[in-house]
Amino acid sequence: MTDGASTPSWLLAGAEDAPPLLCSGKRRRGGAIEKTLDGLAGLIREALESEEVAARRGLLQRLDARAKLIGMLGLLIATGLVRHIPVLLGLYALTLVLAAASRIGLGWFAKRVWFFIPLFTGVIVAPAMFSFITPGEIVLPLGHWFGHEVGLTRQGLTSAGLIVVRAATSISLVVLLTLTTSWTRLLAALRALFVPRLLVLVLGMAYRYIFVLLDSVSEMVTARRARTVAAKRSRRGERAIAGFSAGALFGKAHALSEEIHQAMLARGFSGEARTLERPRLGAIDAVSLVACLALAILVVGGDRALGL
Amino acid sequence: MRSGSEPLLIGEGLSYSYLERFPALEEVSLEVSRGERLALLGANGCGKSTLLKILAGLIFPDHGSYRAFGEVVSAERLEDEQFSAAFRARVGFVFQNTDAQVFSPTVRDEIAFGPLQLGLASREVEARIADVVAMLEIDDLTERAPYQLSAGQKKRVAIASVLAMNPELLLFDEPTAGLDPRSRGWLLELIDELVRVGKTIVFATHELAELEWIADRCLVLSEGHRVLAKGSPSEILADRELLLRANLIHEHTHRHGSLVHSRGLTASVAHLYRNRL
Repeated sequence: MTDGASTPSWLLAGAEDAPPLLCSGKRRRGGAIEKTLDGLAGLIREALESEEVAARRGLLQRLDARAKLIGMLGLLIATGLVRHIPVLLGLYALTLVLAAASRIGLGWFAKRVWFFIPLFTGVIVAPAMFSFITPGEIVLPLGHWFGHEVGLTRQGLTSAGLIVVRAATSISLVVLLTLTTSWTRLLAALRALFVPRLLVLVLGMAYRYIFVLLDSVSEMVTARRARTVAAKRSRRGERAIAGFSAGALFGKAHALSEEIHQAMLARGFSGEARTLERPRLGAIDAVSLVACLALAILVVGGDRALGL
Repeated sequence: MRSGSEPLLIGEGLSYSYLERFPALEEVSLEVSRGERLALLGANGCGKSTLLKILAGLIFPDHGSYRAFGEVVSAERLEDEQFSAAFRARVGFVFQNTDAQVFSPTVRDEIAFGPLQLGLASREVEARIADVVAMLEIDDLTERAPYQLSAGQKKRVAIASVLAMNPELLLFDEPTAGLDPRSRGWLLELIDELVRVGKTIVFATHELAELEWIADRCLVLSEGHRVLAKGSPSEILADRELLLRANLIHEHTHRHGSLVHSRGLTASVAHLYRNRL
């Protein structure tokens, strides 16, 4: 295109087809685009919040990631073995104390943990509370079914409570570890625990490129919003666009992965992941690690002493 | 050409097609001397990046031969551990897409990647990281994640990650694309400094404004993926007919000393070029 001769006449005519720039009073509802954008922004915000928490000067943040990882693993195993709700509640209270000592807001921390419990554990344990799954002493009768009394049993409620508190304590321990340890230190800790280096490298890259692909999705969705004029939405159209976008994203991810591989080859990558050595554990890390493991053994031992 | 006359790189009759269907290079021959700054000029899609990837030993020509540092470079030879390590240590490639190049979780890990692959001891790698971040003024970014960096910062990190390997030859793909004026100026000064310390630079660009400053010689590729011309920046810039054929300037572009004006779409005049840096 060298001059105006090849420019279509409608392009020279101005935006005469555009609707008048006036308010009609009819509001547009927020659709899938807005929700997707909000979701993407939320993901990135959450990742940034986690990094901020990991950078705070709290108790767990001061500890070496390897000591934390092994200590938390010990406590997780202990949590899985405990069979008394009061002991589990004690462990859960300990996670709250650790969260407070690590400068994590308790409300924010509890929300992160308890958000998942009803979604996953709750659905699984709910049937176990009823007399037709766990027979026993009915504490809350719900009526009769084929001549049998149906209700929530004491044994069922105890089993469900045990699983819920165990899940909450386990999730709290994992959330504590991930919130107080930056992703890079966590990866380094995994390496120290003999997780294959290549797997750790892949994990690190996967986390890194989530953000690049999130940017791509965000740009694609924003570009679509910029060109969305019609107030009415077609479900079929939306599905088609979602399909095209997913396809385009897949193509982009594939092209990017090829280029990343070339960038790695160009810097001498030959299939073996090499990493900088991590510093040795300090005295405080060793003490914390021993304390965690001793606590885990004590908890399991104490629980056994309480009997079944 | 700054020093020496023995060619460091020799490409003869290089041809390459993507998926054996889409030609990217046709019969391209070139020589690059030690300490030289060669600019690969051409419009989008003319094959500049493909040529750089062949020079970096990342892809291999369908036809033609490529020699670097006096040795034939081929897929088979790069499968040899010793040859591959020696070649990769000598050739650094700064990609246009920094997101592809900066793949590690932190800037520190990114810069350490190359030297560690070369087999350097951790202590030496740490020393190189410290030196290179000080040189590129990114000391405050070492523990940051790439997604927290701006485009200019990512470019610095990408360059630092390559410089930490201390390569003899540096290949830059569109080095100044997408950078703000200050980062552009900084990068051009850095390229100048690297040549002063004896590095050889080959870079792909379609920017003409800074050509005389940063290149000793140019190789112009046509939209048909062939070599259109070779010469000094002043010779190439003076040949208006050549620049038009290579689609490097618009037919209404004209120069006023250091300023180049271009006539844009329809009849309006757009001032496309900025002051020469």
